[in-house]
Amino acid sequence: MLVDFDLIKRAQAGDSAAFNEIVLAYRKRIMGTITRLIARPEDVEDVAQEVFLRLYFSLDQLRTAEVFEPWLHRLTTNAAYDYLRKQRRRQEFRMSDLSEQQVVMADASAGGKVEQEEQYNKRIREAVDALLSSVSEADRTLLVMKEVEGFSLKDLEKIYRVNENALKVRLFRARQRVLKAFGQQNQGGTRNKPGE
Amino acid sequence: MMDRMRGNDEERLDALFRAYRNACQTPEVSANFMPALWAKIESRQRFTFSFRRMANAMATAAVALSIALSVYMAIPRSSPNYYSQTYIEALAEANPLDAPEIAGPVALDLSDPGR
Repeated sequence: MLVDFDLIKRAQAGDSAAFNEIVLAYRKRIMGTITRLIARPEDVEDVAQEVFLRLYFSLDQLRTAEVFEPWLHRLTTNAAYDYLRKQRRRQEFRMSDLSEQQVVMADASAGGKVEQEEQYNKRIREAVDALLSSVSEADRTLLVMKEVEGFSLKDLEKIYRVNENALKVRLFRARQRVLKAFGQQNQGGTRNKPGE
Repeated sequence: MMDRMRGNDEERLDALFRAYRNACQTPEVSANFMPALWAKIESRQRFTFSFRRMANAMATAAVALSIALSVYMAIPRSSPNYYSQTYIEALAEANPLDAPEIAGPVALDLSDPGR
């Protein structure tokens, strides 16, 4: 845990400085998770603020220190889920475009190395974003938390407050759906890094 | 053959997820992050406060209205015997027995020979 429980207690008592400290301690980590959950760097800060806003208004419900982090992650996944639902993927960004994008990815040879790297990263984000649009927003957040963020099933059980077996089933189904979409669209695609 | 292709896809998907993790670098936090966060908190507090005040005002108005109605219902009416009469009593009072059109004898005229 990045902060001690005394700090949380002070924040619960209305100490703004203590709350600021909590935000500063977790901001980077939460923003990183949100970046991977929503795949839109430009909106990460807004979603992160929403997470801490929810934290501020629900902090008084927290009773024990050990549930703080799972609880903060739950607020994060909920805020990301709400964002994703509001921002339903644009229809023009369909799975059928994926192969073409992947080809473009390999052709990103113009410009400097940094620019190429950024182009590559952007394409990867867009490709995964499109793939993840084949599952619901709820499954998407769960899949990213497991496959990209690397949370264990035990962690996810605490975050989602759902039985581990139910999580396994849900994850398996979501992954199968993504895998199917990936298999269909990736026949001629390439994920070569620029310069390879 | 299909299993091998599927296994291949699984590995490639895992690789894509790894690449995605690397491609999603956490954006730099803007200097406006904390001020904007506090502005949102204060805005939400103001909204909650005014909503609570409105809810309190409505609850108070409802209680006052209930009390007023209770008092109104408790005040005795100006004609208290109006509802103490039964229907028969009220009917009898409206149509006393000595009223001529009801109580008088029927007069038969037998002098007309044509009948």
